[in-house]
Amino acid sequence: MSDNPRMSHPDSAAGERAHIIEDAIVAQLSEELAAVRDRIVAAYPDLQVAGFRGELTLVAQPAQVPEVLRFCRDDPAVSCELLADLSGVHWPGGTFRRPAQETTGWPAYAETVEHGRIEIDYILYSVTHNHRLRVRVFLPDEDPTIASVTPLYASADMMEREAYDFFGVDFQGHPNLTRVLMPDDWEGHPHRKDYPLGGVDVQYKGATIPPPDQRQY
Amino acid sequence: MSDTTRPGSQVEPHREYTVVSGEWQDLPDAVPEDLMIINMGPQHPSTHGVLRMVLTLDGETVVDNQPVIGYLHTGIEKNAEYRPWVLGVTFVTRMDYLSPLFNELGYCMAVERLLGIADEVPERAQAIRVILTELNRVSSHLVWLATSGMELGAVSAMIYGFRERETILDLLEFVTGLRMNHAYIRPGGVSQDVPTDFADRVRQVLVDMPKRIDELEDLLSQNPIWLERNVGVGILDAEECLDLGVTGPMLRSAGVAHDLRKAAPYCGIEQYDFDVPTADTSDAYGRYVVRIAEMRESLRIVEQALDRLPEGPVMVADKKIAWPAQLGLGPDGLGNTKAYVDRIMGQSMEALIHHFKLVTEGFVVPPGQVYTALESPRGELGYHVTSDGTNKPYRVRVRDPSYIHIGTLPHLTRGLLISDVIAAVASIDPVMGGVDR
Repeated sequence: MSDNPRMSHPDSAAGERAHIIEDAIVAQLSEELAAVRDRIVAAYPDLQVAGFRGELTLVAQPAQVPEVLRFCRDDPAVSCELLADLSGVHWPGGTFRRPAQETTGWPAYAETVEHGRIEIDYILYSVTHNHRLRVRVFLPDEDPTIASVTPLYASADMMEREAYDFFGVDFQGHPNLTRVLMPDDWEGHPHRKDYPLGGVDVQYKGATIPPPDQRQY
Repeated sequence: MSDTTRPGSQVEPHREYTVVSGEWQDLPDAVPEDLMIINMGPQHPSTHGVLRMVLTLDGETVVDNQPVIGYLHTGIEKNAEYRPWVLGVTFVTRMDYLSPLFNELGYCMAVERLLGIADEVPERAQAIRVILTELNRVSSHLVWLATSGMELGAVSAMIYGFRERETILDLLEFVTGLRMNHAYIRPGGVSQDVPTDFADRVRQVLVDMPKRIDELEDLLSQNPIWLERNVGVGILDAEECLDLGVTGPMLRSAGVAHDLRKAAPYCGIEQYDFDVPTADTSDAYGRYVVRIAEMRESLRIVEQALDRLPEGPVMVADKKIAWPAQLGLGPDGLGNTKAYVDRIMGQSMEALIHHFKLVTEGFVVPPGQVYTALESPRGELGYHVTSDGTNKPYRVRVRDPSYIHIGTLPHLTRGLLISDVIAAVASIDPVMGGVDR
């Protein structure tokens, strides 16, 4: 068996990649962060805990998010005053061929994912206690909808607009959900993985280099 | 600070208009009577690059201010997904063009944490990173001072600020080869060691720069016009700051001594002795005070780091990550160190193959996600980087402080006069390259 955590997991083809990626390494949390984790998980037992490189991630259900974030903000032991970032990652559906990798010794394999998902990470930071954690949700990429957290954090306003712009996530209750970086009449959501990069051949002294999305690195 | 009670937002706006325009009030989406919408920017020299502000005005008083951004959108986050990991550095350095080294450092810290080599980066590389980024902070703050001086009509401040910044850019050019867009900090260390008389040149800057900062302070700190324009403008207290996600000098001007260099130290910056300057005025003048003090603190850090600069390698020992070539100047003014070329061309075919593969394919990063943050001149600069286990990033998301701070504009400028909007925007120090990424 290779040492690729994704390969060694029994359900590696079940579209649970993001969990698997981080499940293996939960044990590295510092004591303070472990206490924070225990505190939050005690209040919301159905949160799944993930972690990687000493960072804490709590995977929530979409409906829970405002509640969990409110707890993280208001609970004196957690007390995350800053919504430091709201970030997204698209995990599309489909069959993916993973090439063999000489450097790590992973074999080639194919992976089928039934439904694409959009991951939204709320990165919270406590200025008082100086800890950082992530609350993560997965939304279906056909119709991603989640409640806005602008009533909890004013900073979510701009960040949710960006996530809407780039991933098409519908943040319900957002006061002004419009595109922010792309033009208003732009079609598509550029940070979805099925959105093409585009590009033209690069010519130099007669030779041609294909655009970046077709290069064989 | 003087106890100027400045008019600013307290003045009742004039209610009489002598110029009456015809049709715009009849348009379907016309704003309520007596209000007027003015676009400021995106080419207005006082809006810090391509920022457009849609001001709703009652006379000359701002009722609402909606920032409109996206004119630069460079697609760096998307582009980075199609290049090997190490080329991400050449992208991110182009984002926030006043603090390129912070962008590089943030990205490299994220990649290093993903690789699990964050603790293996050599001490010399860490010290060089600290020296260069702190100098970069000074140069960034100098541009802030220069541009906000210009926006408020203090052209001398602009000329002085840009002139002093040149000395630091010269130094960065001396080390990295470029004034900006350095791509000098790489995952695992820095791309090459500093030149031999690096320490002397930095010491010269350390001698000159405090005097020049003094000069700028003499020019501005007690200047009645500077006080009139800045005191009490753009007030954002600590609670509002936290709610709006504000970090960096803006938060510190509201009295919160929060600095990631102290709270979550990186690159061994905890070994150095420095203070986190704060102000309690929460206004544009407070931000000026904080930034001036920060420049001095940065120079303190540089001095200590230079004194302790350890010997040793500047790149991790792992040959699967570090590019084997150590660039040096050949007799033709270009090229590589002769010893290295001799070895790969004449003696070791394996080394040549390895070099070739590492340069074209790059290295593989284990799957996972990390978020690293550092204290850039504008606040928390965060990199949320996802790897799916290949030789390219799966996603690089940048939390740029300017973007978050632009979001505070409506809160910051409501009730101010138009001219004060300029001072308020300048006090944020937004860099649109970072906002639009």
